Amino acid sequence: MVSATKQGPDPASSEGERRTGVPAQATPGEAADSEQRAVAQPDQEPQHHQTAQHHQAPEHTDAISPGFRKFAFRVRIWQRRAVIVSLRVARLVKTGILRFLPALRYVGRALQKRWRRSLQFRTVLTTLLLAVTSFAVVGAYLSNQIANNLFQERLTQAESETRYNVKQVQETFDGAQVTDQSSVITLVYDTLNAVEGRGSVIQRRYVFEAMPEQTKPRNRWVESRASDQLTVSVIPPELRKAVQESGKDQYWASTVIPVGTEDRPGIAVGNKVTFNGTVYELYLIYDLNTAQQTLDEIQSVLWAGGAVLVLLIGAVAWYVTRNVVSPVSHAAMVSEKLAAGQLQERMVVRGEDEVARLGASFNHMAASLQEQITQLATLSQMQQRFVSDVSHELRTPLTTVRMAAEVLYDARDDFDPINKRSAELLYNQVERFQSLLSDLLEISRFDAGVAVLDAEPEDILQVIAHVIEGASPVAAEYGSEIVLSAPAGAIVVDMDARRIDRILRNLILNAVEHGEGRPVTVTVAASESAVGIAVRDHGIGMEPAEAARVFDRFWRADPARARTTGGSGLGLSIAAEDTKLHNGWLQAWGRKGSGANFRLTLPLRQGEEIGNSPVQLEPEDNITTGEPGSVPREPDTRNILVLETGAARLAPVPTTKENP
Amino acid sequence: MKARILVVDDDEALAEMIGIVLRNDGFEPVFCADGAQALDIFRSSRPDLVLLDLMLPGVDGIEVCRQVRAESDVPIVMLTAKADTSDVVRGLESGADDYVPKPFKPAELVARVRARLRPGDQKAPETLRIADITIDVAGHTVSRGSERISLTPLEFDLLVALARKPWQVFTRELLLEQVWGYRHAADTRLVNVHVQRLRSKIEQDPEAPEVVLTVRGVGYKAGA
Repeated sequence: MVSATKQGPDPASSEGERRTGVPAQATPGEAADSEQRAVAQPDQEPQHHQTAQHHQAPEHTDAISPGFRKFAFRVRIWQRRAVIVSLRVARLVKTGILRFLPALRYVGRALQKRWRRSLQFRTVLTTLLLAVTSFAVVGAYLSNQIANNLFQERLTQAESETRYNVKQVQETFDGAQVTDQSSVITLVYDTLNAVEGRGSVIQRRYVFEAMPEQTKPRNRWVESRASDQLTVSVIPPELRKAVQESGKDQYWASTVIPVGTEDRPGIAVGNKVTFNGTVYELYLIYDLNTAQQTLDEIQSVLWAGGAVLVLLIGAVAWYVTRNVVSPVSHAAMVSEKLAAGQLQERMVVRGEDEVARLGASFNHMAASLQEQITQLATLSQMQQRFVSDVSHELRTPLTTVRMAAEVLYDARDDFDPINKRSAELLYNQVERFQSLLSDLLEISRFDAGVAVLDAEPEDILQVIAHVIEGASPVAAEYGSEIVLSAPAGAIVVDMDARRIDRILRNLILNAVEHGEGRPVTVTVAASESAVGIAVRDHGIGMEPAEAARVFDRFWRADPARARTTGGSGLGLSIAAEDTKLHNGWLQAWGRKGSGANFRLTLPLRQGEEIGNSPVQLEPEDNITTGEPGSVPREPDTRNILVLETGAARLAPVPTTKENP
Repeated sequence: MKARILVVDDDEALAEMIGIVLRNDGFEPVFCADGAQALDIFRSSRPDLVLLDLMLPGVDGIEVCRQVRAESDVPIVMLTAKADTSDVVRGLESGADDYVPKPFKPAELVARVRARLRPGDQKAPETLRIADITIDVAGHTVSRGSERISLTPLEFDLLVALARKPWQVFTRELLLEQVWGYRHAADTRLVNVHVQRLRSKIEQDPEAPEVVLTVRGVGYKAGA
């Protein structure tokens, strides 16, 4: 890029007053760049008016303000830098990622988790990112602006100094007496050396070069020359061309000058001088190193300040969010503890701000919750204790009543018919009263949570045989038989035999009671993890909706139905509780007219999952019974009370059937 | 001679009723309504069997049981309103031989009393061995080497039953029938608790029994 300014009265004096902190161009790279891109087409027409600047670029034929051109030029530089930096970063990131991929993934996941779970982390990180971004933008703008100003200032100074010096040189040359060669050479050299500046500090350097094409014969005495280390090659060709082709105008260009071993950014300002009819190009070269250093310092201060500022902003964000978030997370922690049952847990309340109000109302809520829960728990505990106490208190007198009733019952043959019947009624009803009482006590024990599983490995087939043996007299009364279908050998199950006995007795007596004299089938099968026992009757059956309710307390399928066996109505509820204690399943299936099927599934070892029940809940024979109007066979899930994870399958059952 | 039975129960109506039933079946009942006096009355009346209510005013039934057991091998049957495992086990561990949960039938009570009172079998001079234990059946003594081990009659019967058939595995039901004399299901916890008590007396290390072995899923057998 070349600027042409009309040579006019120089506004700035320079020689004596070298300013410190002289502004300058930016970096060497930039300088090199400008060197390469310096526009070669200065205005050819002589300029006679102040500061009329003309530029000719291929893409901009119109006159464009120098500020804009400089800006565009800088944008290109920054673009280039950005490309180089991003390529390097990409390469670094690529190799880094390949090497540290697992660790990076781990860190990434940890950060992601943190991002998701911590509001504080998110806020601080976002604030930091925003701060860094805005600081980068502002910093880039500031640094650019400062660099521009420094350069501009230095350029103006260089131009005016050059103007002054060229004028001085020309005046000296004009007034010189061209007598002999040596004096001429001395004169020229002294003049040029004076241009370098006074004192020990070199303020500017020069390149003095004869124009290649001369209109007059060349002065042979004065050779081209330059300051130390400089040659004419440091002058950009475009600048030379511009100087050569112009009249008396002054041009400038950025360049690189070798100083010692390093290259420094500089400005070359050129004009023509005439000596003894020979035209020379005189270029003054200004070192921008001090300006560059100043800029570097300013930039490093700027970035360091920015980094500190960003850290401070981060710290502030952290502090502020901590103040807001920590009461919230404290509240979350306290409410988790409350939910886990630690009802006495409260928040710490400090001050009177919003957070304190949150804490106070939270504590208020917790207090009323605690009060209500405690009240409910006390009530429920009192009720359970009451039931339990009543049952116990009733036992002793009931024992007396029962013994007395039995004594009377045993002696009933000696009584008259009225007293005899009374003794019988008394005896039977005391029996019933007692079974009701013991069931009630059992249920109250489950409700109080004091029922514990006293499991030991025992053969469940023995228990089943024992129960069937005990139920046989009852079955005989009803005219039905109990058919056992079970594998040979033993099935050892971790169980509380007393409870399993009670469950099975309940199921089998129920089946006998509702079986209407038809056979009751007990099917046993075991898998690797579970044993299944299905008790099937072919009586009046029940609706699926009823099957869903059979385990409810005091529930009866038909309230009008005679209570022939005098059950308490708690039997199946107790059975369900006993099963739950074993981590087993107790399920019911029923169809009106097709009878019912109750299935007990127990894990072979406590603490293991059942998976599948080895026997089917919906009986296979349900299809063959196919009475007119019976419900078509379909998988029925409504009557499954205990949720099954898999479909039940029919396990192979050996055909050994025994009739007890 | 009528067997004398000490009934320790604070409920007078029940005690009287039990008395009626026992007298009816040819026993001679003696009553005590207070746990604190139970031991004195036991010493003065020298009963053949004690029926003991677990819940007593003054000294509680468990404590009475322990005191009686400390000075006598007389059979003790507990009457309990609480059939909870913990209570029953506590009672059995304090030295009771059996328990009857309230409410009970008169016949049941009498059956249990008779079972505990049944005259000792005419024992032929017989010496049994399990592991390093020697049992003199007729002399009712058990010893390891020269050391005498003191057992209650029930524990002795349990050990003898196992020792007589060292090849057989006894189910709990079978033991109930042979040792306690019950034909029909009583609580198998009786067996568990008494086996544990027996082990604590005769095993070198009750945690790793050598005399009375558990057969998982079935029951117990005598050690080699």
